[in-house]
This record gives sequence, structure tokens and C-alpha cells, in this order.
Amino acid sequence: MRPLPRFRVHRPESLEKALELLATLEKAKPIAGGTDLIPLMREVEVDVKHLIDLSHIGELNFIREEEGYIRIGATTTLSDLVASELIASKAPALWEAAASMGSPQIRNRGTIGGNLCNASPAADLGPPLLALEAEAEIRSLDERRWIPIGEVFAGPKVNSLAEDELLTEVRFKTPPQGAGSAFEKIGRRRAVTLALVNAAAYIEVEDETCRVARLALGAVADRPLRMGEAEERLMGKELSEELIEEVSALCGRLVRPIDDVRASAWYRREMSRVLSRRALLKAWRRCAT
Amino acid sequence: MMLRFKLNGEWIECEAEHNETLLDLLREKLGVKSVKRGCNVGECGACTVLLDGRPVNSCLLLAPLVEGRSVETLEGLRDKPIMRELIEAFVEDGAIQCGFCTPGMLISAYSLLSRNPKPSEGEVRRAIAGNLCRCTGYVNIVKAILDAAERLRGED
Amino acid sequence: MEAEEILEELAERGEFIVIGRGVRRFDALDKALGRAKFTADYVERDALVVKVVRSSLPHALIKGINIDEALKIPGVVAVLTAGDIPGENQIGYALPDQPFLNDVKVHYVGDPIALVCAENEEAAFKGVEAVEIDYEELQAVYTIDEALSEDAPRIHGGEDNIAVTTRVRKGDIEEGFSKAEAIVEDTYETPYQEHMYIEPEAAYAIPEGHDKVTVIGTMQSPFLVREKVAGILGWNLNQVRVIQALTGGAFGGKDDMGPLVCAKAALAAVKLGRPAALILDRDESAAYSVKRYPARIRYRSGADAEGRMTAAEVDITVDCGAYANRAPFWLWRMTAHAAGPYEVEAVHVDGRAVYTNKVFGGSFRGFGDVAMHFAVESQMDMLAEKLGLDPLEFRLRNVLRPGSRTTTNQLLDHSVGIEECLRGVAEASDWWNRRGEVKRIEGKLRGLGVACAHHGISTSRGAPDWSAASLILNEDGTFTYRTGICELGQGSQFGHAKIVAEILGAPLESIRVEGPDTDSTPNARPTHGSRGLMLGGSAAADAALRLRGRMVKVASEMLGCDEGDVELKDGRAYDRRRPENSVSFRELAREMYIRGVSPAAYGFYAPPRRYFDPETGLGVAYPVYTFAATVAEVEVNPETGEVKVVEVWPSMDVGRAIDPLLIEGQIHGAIAQGLGFALTENLIVEEGRVLNPNFKDYVIPSSMDMPRVSDVIIVEKPYRHSAFGAKGVGEPAIISIVSAIANAVYHATGIRFRTLPITAERLYRALRGEKP
Ligand SMILES: Cc1cc2nc3c(=O)[nH]c(=O)nc-3n(C[C@H](O)[C@H](O)[C@H](O)COP(=O)(O)OP(=O)(O)OC[C@H]3O[C@@H](n4cnc5c(N)ncnc54)[C@H](O)[C@@H]3O)c2cc1C
Ligand code: FES
Ligand code: FES
Repeated sequence: MRPLPRFRVHRPESLEKALELLATLEKAKPIAGGTDLIPLMREVEVDVKHLIDLSHIGELNFIREEEGYIRIGATTTLSDLVASELIASKAPALWEAAASMGSPQIRNRGTIGGNLCNASPAADLGPPLLALEAEAEIRSLDERRWIPIGEVFAGPKVNSLAEDELLTEVRFKTPPQGAGSAFEKIGRRRAVTLALVNAAAYIEVEDETCRVARLALGAVADRPLRMGEAEERLMGKELSEELIEEVSALCGRLVRPIDDVRASAWYRREMSRVLSRRALLKAWRRCAT
Repeated sequence: MMLRFKLNGEWIECEAEHNETLLDLLREKLGVKSVKRGCNVGECGACTVLLDGRPVNSCLLLAPLVEGRSVETLEGLRDKPIMRELIEAFVEDGAIQCGFCTPGMLISAYSLLSRNPKPSEGEVRRAIAGNLCRCTGYVNIVKAILDAAERLRGED
Repeated sequence: MEAEEILEELAERGEFIVIGRGVRRFDALDKALGRAKFTADYVERDALVVKVVRSSLPHALIKGINIDEALKIPGVVAVLTAGDIPGENQIGYALPDQPFLNDVKVHYVGDPIALVCAENEEAAFKGVEAVEIDYEELQAVYTIDEALSEDAPRIHGGEDNIAVTTRVRKGDIEEGFSKAEAIVEDTYETPYQEHMYIEPEAAYAIPEGHDKVTVIGTMQSPFLVREKVAGILGWNLNQVRVIQALTGGAFGGKDDMGPLVCAKAALAAVKLGRPAALILDRDESAAYSVKRYPARIRYRSGADAEGRMTAAEVDITVDCGAYANRAPFWLWRMTAHAAGPYEVEAVHVDGRAVYTNKVFGGSFRGFGDVAMHFAVESQMDMLAEKLGLDPLEFRLRNVLRPGSRTTTNQLLDHSVGIEECLRGVAEASDWWNRRGEVKRIEGKLRGLGVACAHHGISTSRGAPDWSAASLILNEDGTFTYRTGICELGQGSQFGHAKIVAEILGAPLESIRVEGPDTDSTPNARPTHGSRGLMLGGSAAADAALRLRGRMVKVASEMLGCDEGDVELKDGRAYDRRRPENSVSFRELAREMYIRGVSPAAYGFYAPPRRYFDPETGLGVAYPVYTFAATVAEVEVNPETGEVKVVEVWPSMDVGRAIDPLLIEGQIHGAIAQGLGFALTENLIVEEGRVLNPNFKDYVIPSSMDMPRVSDVIIVEKPYRHSAFGAKGVGEPAIISIVSAIANAVYHATGIRFRTLPITAERLYRALRGEKP
């Protein structure tokens, strides 16, 4: 296990200041909860001279509903998500994902921004945010842009941000009444376990017809994936268990998993099917309530 | 760097390295030895402390990040009523074998009972899911936490 | 009165003062207050940090070791290699096959080559990276079959890669099989298991003057540590003082690791004249420390039409890894338990342990009996099925009873409670009503499985075993008890104190236990083999009885009554006939000191001598056996292959329950470890490299994974030759739970796993027709 590299820690209190530090300091990296970054630095050599701590920046820590959007600041912790009535009632998929992550200790430190920017293919917040069609606000000193959440992920543990950029906010349209969402995960024990596969579904039903269906899977490719082809087969149809079964089988074929110490690619494919079905069924059932 | 934070209720100032974790600072410099190192990467919970009242892994927390915040360990909590009851129940119920996981386990249990005086068995299990124990199989730990909660509610 | 008689009288009282009750452990409070000191808690800030330079190849010759660059790193004080060892560069346990620091050849990825000693962690780490090793790579051997193949490279020279062999020839095997109505044959494989104690291995050594060193460390056998440290230093035993710090879980592993880490810290401290600490990182501990030995067992057994076992033919191969370490003992244990806790007329066993270029195995709770019973208990289920018998009923027909003979033809004349254990769990789990049909609950399959276990206490093959302890009555009437048995979490020392308290009629609080310090505690031999309480406790009893004799004598004179009328109780000596006539232990102690009657006693215990013939494998393999039976209920999710253990019903014949709470604790812990071994713990070793040396990917059970555990059914069949009849309880529960789970999975799914762990993926594949 490696000693931590010799970096300096900076603790800006404003976003402006943080962006400035990132832009001017050499080999600078943001740190939020550190629950991904510290273990990473213990495992491999990370070339970093400055760490910019985001946890002091009040303006990055919020959950609110505004102008038809649910907006979540980047340093919002997983525990904050779990404690939020708004998230529990409007975006149960996101809530379930956050609640499934790590341990209480990890959830108290780990953040939504960190989970996304760490860009693990197995990141549990990936699939629900994809299914909710969330967007991320990316800022640098002189630019501010919104990108679809999927674009944060550029490859296994690689994000698409430039070195002077921060992810500042995640937002998604408040799901309407009658929409349902759900998250499913399979790990290797019942707590503190990384996903072998995770899945999230979002469904809107109107007059018995599926208006919107979105499904995303994680740990089955180099980044979390939307199952576009599967979604199309659901939209405009009357939902049934058979249809969901059939579409889930398709998902098992759409994914591109790998073998590793946790599971084989084949098992991940199989579980993609199982979890897709479970997530879709659960989301569908939630539409009514 | 100089660091100022509240340790077990008292403001302290101490010298810390930028790349030092709170776990190292507590153990090596401040003599707070109840906080244990089992893995150093957030997976075992032996290093659990309270940061502003919430359990966190001190091995994942850089020391500079606790500036201005409150850190509590077993040393500071052992005289609080909830912790006293927990300690009593852990001893009575055989929840302690080697004792290496015990301080971290107690912190997680303390945090649970502070927020939820009447937890279900499932809630107890969930609250200590980040604290691995290789000796007890958790059975008597769960029992002790439930017993302590019951006694604190005065239902004994 | 003779000691035996006193004990018998005490044992027959039926009601004890402290024995048999769950009393609060005195070590628990310090642990709960965070005051208990583990090895790392002793280390001073200015101590040298020691880190190990390890082999990066599984099998290679060392052509050169260049430490120059490492020495240039600021903070690096020294790099020690084989040439710096003043004593013998050899630390093998059973065989002299294990160099302490390798300079000729490395045998596995992780083999120690040099020690970097530095002022801090960072310098030590950089120093390790900077040491250059020039290797000549050799062909490596990874599997049992490779090791046994004709043209395999010889890892330790010699004619082959076989470290040791065993055999048992009991009865006429041909005849046995000819009587059989049903015969089943299969091959079982069990993998490594990593201990994953939460406290990693650690040692702290402090030089004392120029010719003595004190070593504080995690260990199970302080006297073994002393011997090995002295051997490396080339010193006498009395130049090395070993203190066992509180040890954060051990489970056998720290028995082997204790000497290895302590000797490294000691060498650094002595060479450099400064305190030095070696604390393993988690990944080092998980990748390079000893593990449960993998084993392969071919098993053929038969039973007659009445459901009685007639023959068992067993072939065992243990995969040692790079060094034999405990393999001879491991293998003998498997060999001597090969028929399981059943009476089988004819038993033939052949065993061997082979070297491979992987991390070496070592002690682990249950020793080879976990693997052996996995085979036995699977066979029992299969035979029962073939005969159309209920598996529990089939076991009941065959279990060992008083008068039965074991695998090695050892006659068991008493202390055999497996039948009661089995009946106990059958009743508690409502077996006869519930085993019938497999239940389906929301698409999930429920199954019920049973398994038995027996585990010989103390050393194998009748090797002599003994234990010692000392007890002093202080002037104020309190006692100082010293034992070399380690506190590892199991509470053995506390059990000793209870035995002493019971014999002396002393309040438990008046007895202070001083843990192992080789300078002052008598040698109790190792804390392993579930011997800590039975052997150590019996030595405690011996010391207490000796002291008791003197206390009674002086008290009778003080009280003016017969010795036979003196009763020791609640810290006082009474005249039984006139209870108002009494003296306190304080007064009694003073009087003993004044009269010059020794207030100190040295206790010694050796189980009865045993005869064992290693040629035929017949004889008294162990003084006594602990027995266990377990029923487990599992729920299988056919959609994912996940197995959830729903409930477990444990039972154990413990001889005498010195402390039910301690026994319960041992059983709960063993269930958790067994559950992990059966279902999730999967050490992945590829080309000799451990790929998952962490809690993230080596998955041990969390609080969420534990089943409901029913009240432990304690059966008491006292052993005649130990204090109060106690037998060891630390290991047997892990032996039966593993097979109970595997058998329950079979019941639920019809799929029999012959290798472990039964991961979700493996079960899922099997449910879809792949060969498990
Ligand atoms: C024991 C354990 C269990 C875990 N279990 C799970 C689990 O079940 N599921 C799961 O998905 N994850 C899990 N994780 C991983 C981790 O906890 C989460 O991904 C967490 O959300 C990371 O957030 P953080 O704030 O701690 O990230 P950090 O470690 O602070 O940062 C991670 C990366 O993102 C960058 N970064 C952070 N914030 C920003 C930002 N706002 N803008 C730009 N870059 C940023 C950092 O520079 C770093 O590269 C676990 C980790 C541990 C140690
Ligand atoms: S030491 Fe911090 S979680 Fe293990
Ligand atoms: S008591 Fe030993 S790890 Fe929990």
C-alpha cells in the first residue's frame, strides 16, 4: 500500500476560488469525499501536487426543486440523498441507488459529483441518473456548459472533464405524477459491495400506454449504458410482464461486459437481463402510485 | 500546517501534514489509540470516528479537511449516557471477542442510537454494515445494541 | 485428598459458583473503553519502520540483490539481507525448508528477500521500490497435478515435490466394500481461505542493552516465537523476551505469522540498536500471509442395506504452497479424521502434501477437518439418498458412541456426545417435519441441510502435549495467575480464571490474569488446536489444587479443625462444622507467609500418554474429541444463484461448559467464517499472484449476511482427564457449518457442489446445466 503523494491541500470557500486554483496550480485535482481518490492513491501512483477540497464550498451543497427541475449540488453526499424526502418521493431510483452504496461511513463522505467524476463503470448513481436523463453542469473559470450525464463518462475511471473544470451540479426534470423509477443491483454480499451489475428504469404510463421508458445498466461496459433499443420496444406499447421479459432478454444481448475477479462477462449478461426485468417491473408498478 | 479543530469537545491546535490522514494524526501525533487501522482504505470500519456527529472512516479523511470541524472518538464519548449503556451491553452480551473492531463498532452504534432510539434489528444491522468483525459473527453485537436501546428507553 | 478426588468432588457438586455461567469477561471492559492495547498501540513515534522486500516472481534464482539505490533514499537507515542474519537463516516450522530471508532462490510471489529499515513509512516504501533484484526465472508449479507430474521442477530439490505422506490401514477394505449395498465415489476440492483478522500482523522489537531484545507482537505461541527469534539472532532463549500484545483475531494464522513478523522486527532492532516495528498492510497480509491449505480429496465409501457404513477409502492431497509449514500436522489431522464422526469398519487412507509455487498454507480454525468433513458429509448425504434414507437418520445409525472406534481404531470409552448433538439439532430445527419437501417462497427455494463434525483436541498422533501455569497468593489475599495461553478474543484466559476461582473458592475479581510474557509466564505451549482451555485450564487447575492443599492445611491449623472440614468459599476459609469460625484469604495469606508455607504454585498438565503407530496409522490419535452437529436452512434465488442462509441450529458436545457465553461466541464466529468459506470467500490466485487481497474483493460476511442463529445446544459429556471435563470449543463449529450449508443447497436445488465456494455465479451456472 502506497504512502500518499506529497500534495498540498487547498480549501477554497467559493466556487470561483476553486476554479481559479484549478486553473492556475499545476497538477491540481479536486477532492470531494475522497472515498474514491484516497484508496486510488494508495493503490497506484497518482501524479498530483495540489488537492482542491470542495467540501467547504457551501454553494455546491444543495438539493432543491426549481422551475420543473430537481437540482443537486456536486458535493451533496450520498447520505444527503438518502435523507431527502424529495428524492425519495420523486426519484426513487436515485434514492435506492444511493442507499445501496457503501456503508454509512462511506455515504456520509461520498458525493454525487465524486461518484460521477470517478467514472467507474460500476458507479451506482450512473444508471439512475441516465434513466432520469439528468444533465451535469460543468464549469471552468470562463465557461459553463450543460452536458448529458452519460457524457461525463469517457471510459473506465476516466471522465470527460478538462483539468480546470468542475462538475458543479446535476439536474433532471421533475418526474410527473404517475411516473415510476427503480434501481436494482447485484453484488457479492448484502452490504458494502460494488455492483456486479446495476440497473435503473424510468417509466411514464398514460392511459395504459407506456409513454416514456428509459433503462440504463452499469458494470456491463466501459461506462454505464442506456438501453435505447430496449426502450424503443416499450414506448407506445401497453406494458405487460411478457413484454418486459422480452425486452430484458434483449438487454442481455446489448451489453458489452468483461470478465474480472468479481464475475464473468457471461454472468453479467445474464444478470443484465434479470436486473432489467426487475427494474422495469418495479418502475412500472410505481407508476400507479 | 497548523490545524485547529474540536477533538472530543475541546478545541485543539496541532501540526499536521497536508498528506496525512486523520487516522494517522490521531494515532501517531495525538495519542488517540482507540481508533484502529484495519485496512487503510475505507473497507473495514475499524477507524470510524464521528465527524460533526456522523460516522466516517478516518483513514479516508485528510487531516487538513477537519479544520474547524468536530471530531469525536471513543475517548470522548465513553462517558456519554448512550455510550455508557452501549459499553455495558457489549460487555454483558458477549459482543466483544478480540476487541479490535469494538471501538469503531461502538461509534456506529452510538450514531444510530443518537438518531434512532428504537431501531429494528434490520436497522441495527444496516448501521454497522460498514464495520467488519471477523470474530463474533455479529450476533451478540446486534443483540447488545438492541439491549442498550431498550435500556435507554427505560423499558428494561 | 488427592487432586483427582478434589476435582471429582467439585465436579460432582452439580452446582458451581462460576463454572457454567456466563460471567462478564474482565478483559471486555478495557476493550470496550478503547483502552486495550494491541501491538501497533505500543509503537513509539521514533521507532524504525521495517518493510519487507518481496519476490515479484513465483519461482526464480536470485542472481543479485542491489541495495545501493535504496540506501541513498533519505530516511532509509539500512537494508538487511540474508548475510545480516547472525543466527541460522531458517524459519521452517515442521521442516527446515523455509529460509528467513531468501538469497538463493524464491519460491512464491511474496517470498521475503530483504528488510528495509527507515525513519518513516514513506522512506521505507521508497526503499523497498529501490532495491533491485536480479532474477533468473524458473518454471513455476501452480497446481497439485503439475506438482505431481514426472517432469515438474523440484521446488525444494529432492526426488519429487512431496513434502510428507500419511496412511491408515484399518480393517479389510475389500470385504467392507463387498458388504456394501450402496457405494459412492467422488472428488472434492477446497480452496484457500484467508483469515482476514481485522488486525493485520504486527511486531514491535526493543533492544535491551547489547544482548537482549523484547518483542511485543501478535501471536498465538509466545514460546515458539521466542525459539524462532533466538534462532535467527543466534542467541539463547533467555536473551529474548516475548510479550503477546492483545491480538486482534488470529484463527490459527497468527500462530504461523507470529514468529515470521516478530523475527523480522527483532533482527532490525538488534542490528540497528533501535526499536523497530513491522506492521503489515492489509494487502500484504491478505496476499502473503498463510492461508487455509487447499486440498483435494478422493473419497469412496459404502454402506450396507441396514444403513451402516462398511468401508471408506480416502485419498488426500494437500497443496502446501511454497513451504511445508504446518502441512504434516494438517495432513495427519485430515488423515486421522477421514471417516468423520462415524464408526466405519474398514478405512484406508493415503495422504500427501505437495509443494507448489504459491503462498504457503498454515493453521486456520478447524485445520484440515473442514475440508475432510466437507467430503465426508457430502458422501454421507449421497449414501443416504442412495439407500433411500433420511440423511439425519442415516447419520444417527452411524455416529460414534461410547465404545466405538475411530478412523485410527482409537477406542472411545467416554465423552462422546455426537448422537445427542444430532438429536438436539433435529428437534430444534423441527427436522422431521420440515426436511420433506422443498419449499418455494416467492420463487425462491428453501432447503435444509445437516452435517456433523468431530475434532481431536491437542496434538495429532499422540505427540506429547502438556501445559503449565503459575499461581501466587498475594499477601492481601488476591491471586496472580500467569499463563502462556494467549488471549485472541476467545476468552480462554478468562476460562482459566474461572477454573481457579471454582477450585479455590475465590471471588473471580480477586484473580488477576497476566498474559504471556516469556520472562515470567510458564510455557503453556501454543494457543491452537482448541487446546487453550482444555490443556491450559487443566494446568491452571493443577496449580490451584496445589495451592489449595497448602491453604487448607494452614487454615485448618488456624481454625483448629480437621483439614477435611475446611471449606474455601467467597474468599474465606470456613470450618464446615462451625461456619461462624472462619478466616479471610488475607489473614490466611499472611499466616502462610509468616510460617514460610509457599504461597506460589506451578501447575502442570499432560493428557494421558498415547500410543500411535505412524506406519499403520492406528492408535490413539488424540486424547479426546469435541463433537458438533449443525442444521442450516438456505434460500436459493434461482434467478441470480444467490444463496441466503436463513437460519442455523448449532450444537456441540463441549465436555463441560466452563462459560456458555464464551462457547456461544466461538460458535457464532465460526458460523460466520464457515458461511464465508462456503459461499463467498474466493481468493483468486493467478500464476501465483493473489488478485484480490482486500476486503472489497475477498468477501467476508458483513452484519447483513448473517443468518438467524438459534440458541446453541450445549451437550456436556465430560472428559475424564481435564479440569471439570472441559474440551476445546474453538474449532468444531466451522467444520459442520460448511457442509451443512452445502448439503442444504443440494436439498434446495438438487445440485451437489464438490468445490467451494458456492458463489452466486457458480450456482447460477449449475442451475442452467453446467457441471458444478
Ligand atoms: C468501502 C467503499 C465502498 C464503496 N461502495 C460503493 C458503492 O456501493 N457504489 C458506488 O458507486 N461507489 C462505491 N464506492 C466508491 C465511492 O465511495 C463513491 O464513488 C463516491 O460517491 C465517491 O465520491 P467522493 O466524493 O468520495 O469522491 P472523491 O474520491 O472525492 O473523488 C473521486 C474523483 O472525482 C473527482 N471529483 C470529485 N468531485 C468532483 C467534482 N465536483 N468535479 C470534478 N471532479 C470531481 C476527484 O478528483 C476524483 O478523481 C465505495 C468506496 C469505498 C471506499
Ligand atoms: S482502516 Fe479505515 S476503514 Fe479500515
Ligand atoms: S471482536 Fe474481533 S474483529 Fe470484532
